[in-house]
Amino acid sequence: MTKVITNNIRRLRFDYDEMTQKALAEAIKVSRQTVVAIEKGKYSPSLEVAFKIADVFNTSLDRVFQYQEIENKE
Amino acid sequence: MSYKERSIWASLAVLTYIWFQYFSGMNNLYDSQALNIDTINELLFDAVVMTIVLEILLQITIAIIDHKDADFDDDERDKLITLHGCNNAYYVLVLGAHIAVFYTVFPTLSSRLLPYIDLPNGYFVMHVIIVFALLSEIIRLITQIRYYRRGF
Repeated sequence: MTKVITNNIRRLRFDYDEMTQKALAEAIKVSRQTVVAIEKGKYSPSLEVAFKIADVFNTSLDRVFQYQEIENKE
Repeated sequence: MSYKERSIWASLAVLTYIWFQYFSGMNNLYDSQALNIDTINELLFDAVVMTIVLEILLQITIAIIDHKDADFDDDERDKLITLHGCNNAYYVLVLGAHIAVFYTVFPTLSSRLLPYIDLPNGYFVMHVIIVFALLSEIIRLITQIRYYRRGF
């Protein structure tokens, strides 16, 4: 079991009038590719960007990002 | 593929093609026994000018195709990827600098290694620097491509 950072950005975008990745990228001032990488868990953003994402969705940081255990795939 | 990735691929292609041409040109000159300071200078001048011209043309073309992304400044991920690329390139460049210093301090070694090339030691050292600068640049670009593809 290892702990990793996961996120709900995809679901939050969907709940937020099906916001596009491009719109989110423009709102937090990063490229669309960076939003894609964050969503896929390939890149952990800085605290500043993480707070900006939470701010866009009017929610708290822990509802966007979680630090949780996942089972190792053998 | 993003604008950044395209731009890096273009730089890598230009760099690899031009400098492959340069070193194969040197090899041909050596085979035809025409390798001297003048011919090397000519080859070097062509390589530098071609690199600048091709790089400018390709980057302009990519920027025209992807003009929306081209206007966008580097974000934190781009900066981090550039930093990782430069970090890896630094090790190669430092190794090259040490080898160049080594051959400057012990010039007889280069003449033992390449006894058939009748060139001043300065040219040998210059080529050590060119090769390692080239390798470090290739390492930098490949590292960036790898991080853009796989993430980190």
